[in-house]
This record gives sequence, C-alpha cells and structure tokens, in this order.
Amino acid sequence: MITGRTRHGSGLVAWAFAAPALLAYFLFLVYPAMSSLWFSFTDWDGLSATYNVVGLDNYTNMPNDPVVIQAAINNLIWAVVTVVVPVVLGLALAVALNGKVRGKPILRLLFYTPAVLPLVAVASIWGWLYNPQYGAINAFLRAIGLDSLAQPWLGQDSTALGATMVAAIWLRVGFPMLLYLAALQGISQELYEAATVDGAGRWQQFWHITMPGLRPAHYVVIALSVIDSFKVFDLIYAMTYGGPGTATQVMGTWMYFNVFQYNQAGYGTAIAVVITVVAVAVSIPYVRSQTKEHAA
Amino acid sequence: MTDSAFNRRTFLTLSGGAALAAGLSACTGGGASDAPTNTGSKELRLFTYEDNSTIDLLKAQIKQFDTQNGTTTTVDSLPGSGAAVYPDKLRTELLGGTGPDVWRIWGGQIGAPFVKAKQAMDLSAYYDKYGWASKLNPAAVSGMTFEGLKGGLPYIALGIGAWYNKAAFAKAGVTAPPTSYEELEEANARILASGVTPLGTAGKYGWHVMRLYEYLLEVSAGPELHDKLLTGAESWDRPEVVTAFTNFKKWQDQKWIPEGAIGLDPADVELWYVQGKTAYTITGPWTEAQGIQAGGKKSADFGVFPFPTGHEPARHSGFVEGYMINAKAGNPDMAAALLDFLIKPETQKAMNITASIVAGAEPDQATLPLSYEWSQGSGKQPFYTIQDQAFPKKQADQYFAIQSDVLQGKTNPAEAAKQMQVVIKGWQK
Repeated sequence: MITGRTRHGSGLVAWAFAAPALLAYFLFLVYPAMSSLWFSFTDWDGLSATYNVVGLDNYTNMPNDPVVIQAAINNLIWAVVTVVVPVVLGLALAVALNGKVRGKPILRLLFYTPAVLPLVAVASIWGWLYNPQYGAINAFLRAIGLDSLAQPWLGQDSTALGATMVAAIWLRVGFPMLLYLAALQGISQELYEAATVDGAGRWQQFWHITMPGLRPAHYVVIALSVIDSFKVFDLIYAMTYGGPGTATQVMGTWMYFNVFQYNQAGYGTAIAVVITVVAVAVSIPYVRSQTKEHAA
Repeated sequence: MTDSAFNRRTFLTLSGGAALAAGLSACTGGGASDAPTNTGSKELRLFTYEDNSTIDLLKAQIKQFDTQNGTTTTVDSLPGSGAAVYPDKLRTELLGGTGPDVWRIWGGQIGAPFVKAKQAMDLSAYYDKYGWASKLNPAAVSGMTFEGLKGGLPYIALGIGAWYNKAAFAKAGVTAPPTSYEELEEANARILASGVTPLGTAGKYGWHVMRLYEYLLEVSAGPELHDKLLTGAESWDRPEVVTAFTNFKKWQDQKWIPEGAIGLDPADVELWYVQGKTAYTITGPWTEAQGIQAGGKKSADFGVFPFPTGHEPARHSGFVEGYMINAKAGNPDMAAALLDFLIKPETQKAMNITASIVAGAEPDQATLPLSYEWSQGSGKQPFYTIQDQAFPKKQADQYFAIQSDVLQGKTNPAEAAKQMQVVIKGWQK
C-alpha cells in the first residue's frame, strides 16, 4: 500500500530530478522571453542603460509601418509556399522511395543532404546560381535559346522573394520526406494486400490507407514546417538582406533590423512578440493532437 | 531621464530578482551591465574587423605595445563583415556586459549610436593629454566627433576613387583617365562596346551602389549644395537631385554597371576589375593590397583616378575609421595609451596603412605605388561624407530602397527626390 507520505516523497524526488532542466528552461527561455515582453513596452534603443515605458505604442505603431505590412504579407506567402510545396514533394518522394526503387539509400541521402547544409553555404550557392551574368540558371536559359527569360533574379522586387523561396524549398524537402518515410514503415503491408484483393487501385490505396496511416506524421510535419516558416530569418538575410529595398523583408528580418541596426529595440522586440504569438497560435492544433494521443 | 524612465536595475529590483538577473543579463542581451568590463589593470581586449592580410601586422604591433607596457592585449577580429554586420556583433558584446576595452569602428552615423548610448567614452581628456588634435587631420577628427563630443580617435581616412584595369581601358581605346563627367560617360560607352562592363558595383547591402549615386549627386549639385543636402539644410526635392537620379538610372539602362547590380554582393563584384570582368570599380586604397596584390597581380597593370566632378574643390567621397574606448573599460588610461601607440607614424607604417591621417605615415611608394599616388594627389583633396555614414542606418536603408526603386523603374527620378525629402524630414523630427 502506498501511503501519502511515500507519494509525497516520490514527488519530491521527481522534482529534484526535473530541477536542473527546469532551472535551465527558466534561465535561458522563460526569463529572456519575459525580458523581451517587457522591453516591447518600452522605447529602449538596445544600447543605453535607461529607457522609458511607452505602453502599447510599439504595437499600435505597427499597422502604420509599411514595412511591417509588407513583411507580414511576405511571411504569409512564404508560409504557404514553403510549407505546401516541400510537404507535397516530400510526401511524393517518400512514397516513391518506399517502393522498390534502385539505389534507394543513395537517393534518400541525395534528397536529404540540403537539409543538413549550413544555411549560409546554401545562400552562397544559390546566390551564385542566380547571378545575372555568370550564374548557371541564366546560362542554361540562354543556352537553350530562352534569353528573354534570363533575369536578375535577386535584383528585382518581382522575382526576389520567389527566387529565395525556391532555395528554401530545395532546402526543406528532405525533412518531410524523412518523417513520411519513417511513418510509411509503420503501415502494415497486409492492408495493401487486402485492398488489392478487394480490387482497390493504387490511387484508392493511397487515399484510403496511406493518407490515414500518415495522419500523426502530417501533424508533426505540417506543424513544425509552419512554425519554421514563421521563424524564417537566416536564408532571407543571407540571400537578399531583405532587399532589393525592402522587397523580401519578413517579420524575422525586420525585427532584427530594428533591434540591431536601427536602435529601436523596443519596437523590434514587439515584432518578435507578434511572431511568437502567431507561431504559438498555429501550433495549437498540433499540441492538442499530441495531447489527445498521449491521453488515449 | 523623465520621471517615468526606468533603468535596468530598477526594473530588475521591481521584478524581485536583482542579484540573479544581473548575472543573467549576459544571457538575455538586456540592458547594459554596470560591472566594469575589465578589472585587470594590465589586461586589454581590442575588437576589430581586420582581415587576414592585415591582422598579423596589427597583432605584431600590439605585441610590441604589450612588451613596452607590461600589458596583455587580446585581439579579436571579425574579418570581412563590413559595416552591415560588425556593429551588430559589437553591440551584442556590449549588451552582454563583456564588451571590448577598445574597438575599431566607422565614423559618422555608424559610430554615433555607441557614443549617444554612452557605451563609448568621451576622449576629450586624452585628446588634451596626447595632443591628438594637432597630430591628426582635422576632417578626420570631425568624423569621430559626435555633437561636439570626441567619442573616438580617427585612425584612417579613406577616399573613394576609380581603380581601373589598364588592359581593359586600352582594349576599349580609352587612352587616359577621364577628366570630366562627359568624358567618363564616353569612356563607359567605349568600354561597353569592347565587351566589358565598365563599372563593377553591387547593391545587396545598399552601401556599394550608393557610392555611384553620391558621386552623381556631387556632379549635379556641387560641393556646397551637396553638403547642405546631407545635413537636411536644403530640400532634396529639387532639380539637381532629380538629375542625379536620372543619371543613376542611365548608368544601369546603358549597362554601365552589372546587370541586376542592386541584388549582387559587393564582395563578389568589387574585384571583378582585377579579373578583367569589369574595367574599373569605385573603392578605396585598400583594394591595392587586398585586391590587386592579394590576387597575384602587379600594381603597374592598374591605375587610380578621381571621379571627375567638374567642381572646385574636386572632392571625392570618403569616410573615417577610428577607435573608441569602452566607457566601462577597466583601465581607460592604458586603453588610451594603446590608441596613442596605434596612431604613431612608425606603427602605422609597420601596419602598411594605406590611408593614414598621421603626417609622416604615407603608404610606402615601393610596395604600394597606387596607394601612394592617391595619398599624394586626390587623397589631399577634401572629401564629402560617404552616405552610409552621413545618415543613420534606418534613413540610409530608406535611401537605398529609393535608389533600388529608381533602378527598377518603379519610381521616377522626380518622385524619388520627393521621397528622399520625406526621409530626411522624418530623420530631423
């Protein structure tokens, strides 16, 4: 029989084990986050020892900042494109590689490699590919007689964001592919065999067996991809520096510019808070689904 | 400070964790720490952005200083980062409460925030002690003076000129450097006809293409008006500015700058003239050591000339770089002694400084003939402030965005002049 005292004692032991991790969590995540929240209500310049409390001014000023509007729209476009395309491509590749394909391990490695490359290296590679005069992309277009399609891809507002998203898609296909591949291993082959016997075609098997079987993986892949897309910073910063002009600014880069370059740390952290709130909001369905599964 | 003003300590006290949180400030990147950066009276840390071609020369001189003074100076460098990145790293270090005792920085509006935030020490007392003002170029000193406060010690003053590939000019039949703007346009046309892009410039970070625009503004506005425009004393919504934007667009439309220049990285493009991909570039004397000679080429195959403006004085754009001392340095006297050591002519000569502001520290004619030529000619001419130092970063970026829109045809020159005036008015509020 477990007494109350024993339960109490084991609870203390559990807390003792959790304490180091909790302490680190509070020191390195909760405290900085709370500090940032506080500074978002101030006019701190990011350097001075003093600042004034300005209440909600930083938040109410955001709608009047044309770059914030542009960055938010860019973020939305980025989120849709760099979530949908890599997830669909990743799923297609996973299904293809899950079958009987020659050189499967090499192909997996090939498709996943971009995901492990340093982002700055990726930005440099694509920067060279996109070079208007010497880049491989324009050289290829000119070689096949499509000179009119050769563009200064990163040097004009109309193509800069799209060009950057292509690099992001190339970079991000490997991650969903790998997760879907792992999830596909968990779907019983007997289901497919039974469906075949019942006369179901490949497409029907995909929709009625594969897709439902991948539901847990969908949650993980889509939630993490969405969160990732709202946090975008490094690729934009390294490839276009938010330009030309402000054409490729996203909330992450605009936050950085304000905090670290324009001496508007209060305003910049307010942008960071908005990014966090949005990322948390879109991840709620994922968290809830995980909680439900755990409870079940 | 107003009644509603807080300082970091007040906030932390109110939040009930002053002692703990003070230790955490390094983790959070919060406000400035009150602790001195360096309690060791004989230990210094210097932060700079020297690259591989110069860092060892600096370290050798620092070692000599340490030997003479019994100090231990650590030198940290962030090479190749440029004004777009280095100040951010410096700011982060300072916010962490462990900033360097001494740091190198650009003048004007790049260095200004560190003085305004009282992170950099007022060096007036050391100017008096060492007599720096009498030893240095007054224009350079003004570049490190912020609202009357001497926040930094100038170290070099760099002038921007046209550095060209003689073979490319010869191939195009351009026999001598142009001496008027019209001749420059004519040379561009000839060079382009020979199959080479005339000017190698790029605008990914704004500041490189800006050098072309500021030159065109000097041509159309002249020295006096140009200076007034930079301070906001005259409106930008005027014909001279429109002319400069019109010519700016012309340079791109005529293909006198690389295709898609506004999206290219200046680090990639600036040295194309050394490789013969472009005929010339718009840069400073560092290019001789770091571009021409580092690329295994001979200085004799290249040349330098000032961009012709048609005005007197014949100015070029230029900028100042210098050193600041941390307001919380553990040993500011020793830090100042180090700065004084760094601007001695013999120290500057030993470091192959190509744009010294110290009399008697000109570049060595034998090893850096082009830098020497520049220092004895155009380098002696007055310069106007390069425009990423003339404006605070935010306004400079807005300025670059307008330039970008003009090059893309999204904004016409007249509208660009109006927009620029709005930017300037916003800055002056």
